[in-house]
Amino acid sequence: MAQAGVVVETSPRGAAASVPGGYAGRLLRVDLSSGRTWSEPWSPADMRTYLGGAGLGAKILWEEVPPEAGWDHPANRLVLATGPLAGLPVWGTGGLTVVTRGAMTNGATSTQANGFFGATLKFSGYDAIVIQGQARKWMYLYVHDDQVELRDAAHLLGKDTWETQDALSGELGYSGHMLSVYSIGPAGENLVRFAAIQGDYGHVASKNGVGAVMGKKRLKAVAIVRGTHALKAADPRGVIAAADEIAYDLKTNPAARTLYEYGTLPAVVNLHGMGALPIKNYTTSVAPPGVDMKEWEAPALRRGFDHRGHQCSACGMHHCHMQVIPSGEHKGEIVDEPEYEGWAGAGWTIGCTDRVAVSWLNTRVDRACVDVNEFGWVCGWVMECQEKGYITEKQLGFRLQWGDAEGANRLLQVMSRREGLGNLLAEGMKIAAERLGGPAAEAAIYTAKNASPRGHDHRARWDELLDTCTGSTGTLETGPPVFPTELGLPARINPFDPAQVAKQTAALNGRRHFEDSLGACIFTTRTMLENLARALSAATGWEFTRDEAMRFGRRVGAMFRAFNLRCGIGPELERPSKRYGSTPVDGPAKGQSIEKHWEHMLDVWYEGMGYDRETGRPKPETLKALGLEWMIPAVWPKSGKGARAAKTIRSPRSAKRPKVAKPAQKAGLARARK
Amino acid sequence: MSTQAGQPIRVHVEALSWVNKFVGGPGTGEVAIEETVKPGTTVRAVLRQVTDRYPQLDHALWDPGKPREIGDNIEVMVNNAVLGVTHDLDSELLDGDHITLLGQYMGGG
Repeated sequence: MAQAGVVVETSPRGAAASVPGGYAGRLLRVDLSSGRTWSEPWSPADMRTYLGGAGLGAKILWEEVPPEAGWDHPANRLVLATGPLAGLPVWGTGGLTVVTRGAMTNGATSTQANGFFGATLKFSGYDAIVIQGQARKWMYLYVHDDQVELRDAAHLLGKDTWETQDALSGELGYSGHMLSVYSIGPAGENLVRFAAIQGDYGHVASKNGVGAVMGKKRLKAVAIVRGTHALKAADPRGVIAAADEIAYDLKTNPAARTLYEYGTLPAVVNLHGMGALPIKNYTTSVAPPGVDMKEWEAPALRRGFDHRGHQCSACGMHHCHMQVIPSGEHKGEIVDEPEYEGWAGAGWTIGCTDRVAVSWLNTRVDRACVDVNEFGWVCGWVMECQEKGYITEKQLGFRLQWGDAEGANRLLQVMSRREGLGNLLAEGMKIAAERLGGPAAEAAIYTAKNASPRGHDHRARWDELLDTCTGSTGTLETGPPVFPTELGLPARINPFDPAQVAKQTAALNGRRHFEDSLGACIFTTRTMLENLARALSAATGWEFTRDEAMRFGRRVGAMFRAFNLRCGIGPELERPSKRYGSTPVDGPAKGQSIEKHWEHMLDVWYEGMGYDRETGRPKPETLKALGLEWMIPAVWPKSGKGARAAKTIRSPRSAKRPKVAKPAQKAGLARARK
Repeated sequence: MSTQAGQPIRVHVEALSWVNKFVGGPGTGEVAIEETVKPGTTVRAVLRQVTDRYPQLDHALWDPGKPREIGDNIEVMVNNAVLGVTHDLDSELLDGDHITLLGQYMGGG
């Protein structure tokens, strides 16, 4: 095996005694341009301020990625981060958060995947991997405690994500959960703009083209052997007690219990009942005649397949499963049980209600490795365009009709290889629609910012439509409400009352960034915020409260927003496409039009967030309240080019400027931004 | 559906999917309950009448901190529209109206 081995530069670990519980205390740095790898400590003060995951990533983006460095620039950082709960015996604490400047929005990204990577990395002695530069040839990163090497990945090129993990497991000689591999597939290699990073057979960091960023860096995979470093909690008994309370909550709370039993499967029937299941590219909100929704209830979905639990690190949920295709051409293939988003993106959105076909296609999407939401929007759009004659069979090279899973896979493959029309579609829904223009463009589902909507019909979930358009991370930033009453907010609001929706969405902002900074799964954090704060306190020895958790989350959100504004992504891009913001023609949300309320909703949301409506910037008093006083001079420069009227925000003086791109790179950037 | 003045009216309450476990169902499909009430009865009163008979549903439906309000766990729809659109808890019901109890969704993917 060809190896470009570089042993990590180890600075003494003597400072470990001062590291708070739950932390390894070090960041692993990788510069692909020079082939150098090194580890560095980070301070307990920064741990308290940024926690990990999304928070740590926001700090690194702000400090190290200047506006000139677009998503495909070597100076862009790809942060694979855990958090203080990763590796501890709290359910679902094996995942990772990916933070980078993403290929879809060319702005901040925070996207999560579960599995074992986070715990494995922590046991190797690192809280995060920070990757910069661009390799001259394809590499993969190998981590085994202090042995860190960049290795030749030529033999892995063209392999899908599962094949990549198979190959590395075989050649490295590890099986089961001794080795965690997160990789890109052919889509990432070919810079498909909505390419994702997938790991541990079925866990996908899917949003904002993080796979394209990894592909641009020519990094095929990161493989981590389960490490041997000790991980301590400040109060081990307290961690166990908090973990027990979280588990009890998940098992007994009426709403969370469905997640415990079936993961996200119940959402199909639930969202259909609300008119929020996206069907045939938003052309209807009602299941077609002949489809019995009882067959789409969670027990029925699981019963239809031979299945086994596929739990993540330290997780007792009955959520993730592997299943076997029971019939048809692909009978016997092992696939990952689709999450709700898979049933939607690889199923309902493209008019496919054959559950076996959806299950198979969903795993093909994960293996080629693109975001299943964006795939659904693109594929459903192509199907509608062919039906209406906007895209001909000759243009695409084949006929693609509603519900055709095999044809959808063919589309996936041509996009992943950028062949023919697939080259345009690989740019994602917004760019493809704008380039095609005409009536086809009006049928496309996207946001002006190019954040991919989740697999819901957001015309029946105005909170998520607003959140997707205003969020700064390439996806939902607030997410669906979780125990709003804990925060003194109403449990229920009129989902079509523009002011109530905007106010509630703003008030709930913060929780998700906190969750995504803990190193914990978004589904095992469906418990009271109080319990999460208690677990964090026991792990670290800090007194962390529910109020601090919310303040922390809003701090992270303000940092991502400031980063995006500095990159030129402002409030003028906070709107849905024509189809995305259209009025449903049937179903429970029939006739509910968000379009006429949009500006008012933004007014209310901005007020609730403490952001300036005109410029989009967090107000000085907001920054101060969030502990971000130090950002005020950059966000609100007093005079000169960066003054109030300016569209951009100053880079921090401390930030390292990237080398100026060569003309060819500049041309590439310009192409990418079109 | 019209009724003579003063005549009792019938309201259909459907518990869908996992919510129907709380009214003795299997946790899948729907369990329908028919309530006969006086004209002018509100959504809240019908729900209270049902939850008085089913303690598990009572626990799951109402906000423990504010017992007159719906809690975090269950979505209530009247005639296929969530509360707040055409009806709120104090709206009066008509003969033949449907109340649907749908589990709150806290997932994603």
